Amino acid sequence: MFKELDPILHSQLRLAVMSLLIGVKEAEFTFIREKTNATAGNLSVQVQKLKEAGYIDVVKQFKDNYPQTTCKITPHGIEAFDAYVKALQQYLQAGQS
Amino acid sequence: MANEKQFSEKESLEIITNMIQKARGSYHDTGIGSLLWGTVVAIASFTTYLQREYNFSIGFDIWLIVMAAVIPQIIISIREKRSQVVVKYEDDALNAVWLVYGISIFGIVAYQNIIPGATIKLNAAEGWQMIKHYTDNRLPDQELRPFAPSLYSLFILLYAFPTLVTAIVKKFKPMLLGAIIAYSLFIVSCFTASKYDMLMGGISAIFCWLIPGIILRTKYLAQKKALANV
Repeated sequence: MFKELDPILHSQLRLAVMSLLIGVKEAEFTFIREKTNATAGNLSVQVQKLKEAGYIDVVKQFKDNYPQTTCKITPHGIEAFDAYVKALQQYLQAGQS
Repeated sequence: MANEKQFSEKESLEIITNMIQKARGSYHDTGIGSLLWGTVVAIASFTTYLQREYNFSIGFDIWLIVMAAVIPQIIISIREKRSQVVVKYEDDALNAVWLVYGISIFGIVAYQNIIPGATIKLNAAEGWQMIKHYTDNRLPDQELRPFAPSLYSLFILLYAFPTLVTAIVKKFKPMLLGAIIAYSLFIVSCFTASKYDMLMGGISAIFCWLIPGIILRTKYLAQKKALANV
């Protein structure tokens, strides 16, 4: 029985954001935008969805008079990412056999 | 990157691998800290060696520049933290290693300055003192102020420690080479007069920090230039 892939994570940009954040302690919005090549608008929407799902924490503050948004994966996000990767492995193994 | 487009499990795996690699490869050390410490420690070590070798004094303790370098280091750290767009788990661990290293260095400096006076007092309390005795009797016996012999060897040993940790964690070969050189010079310094320990300490500082600092700085400026041209 295959586990269903988490629809929140099974989106190219959201998965890219989570994959970036899984390996770091925290990252600024500008860093994520640069690495994913996404537009600011699209990224904002996807970051908000991840935040609403409880997968990431988003902190907005001012740094040197400029707004700064920092994203950090939550323990719930790590669990979801782990489950997604395991489900993905199942699909890929089934494809090989 | 498209958003809700349908994509296969294989593509998912590619995204995950690609992004993890991008996050890993995003290390941007400005190299300024390495350049600063490599320069001041090398200058202080070589100046001390030259003063001892050629018997002259520059009129002040050259190691004060190492103490003074803490101030620009604090400013550099604050600025770098402000401009940092990504914080990795390993960054916290490495910062802790360098902090402990700094505390240890100051601990040895304190030891070096406290031990002689404390030893004299403790010996006096037991009713004895240390005497310098010339085996050929060319000079009369003199009271000896206790000191830790060849203490700079321990500094060289300490220089290698955070350098090797950084080299291993960041997979940065110039620092690995620096650490190997420092460990080798530590062994050599155990058998040489203390003035040569200074020379070896200076060489260690050049290989552990100055040269890696130049490499990091060159890379950082090249990356910055490439980003500006995009």
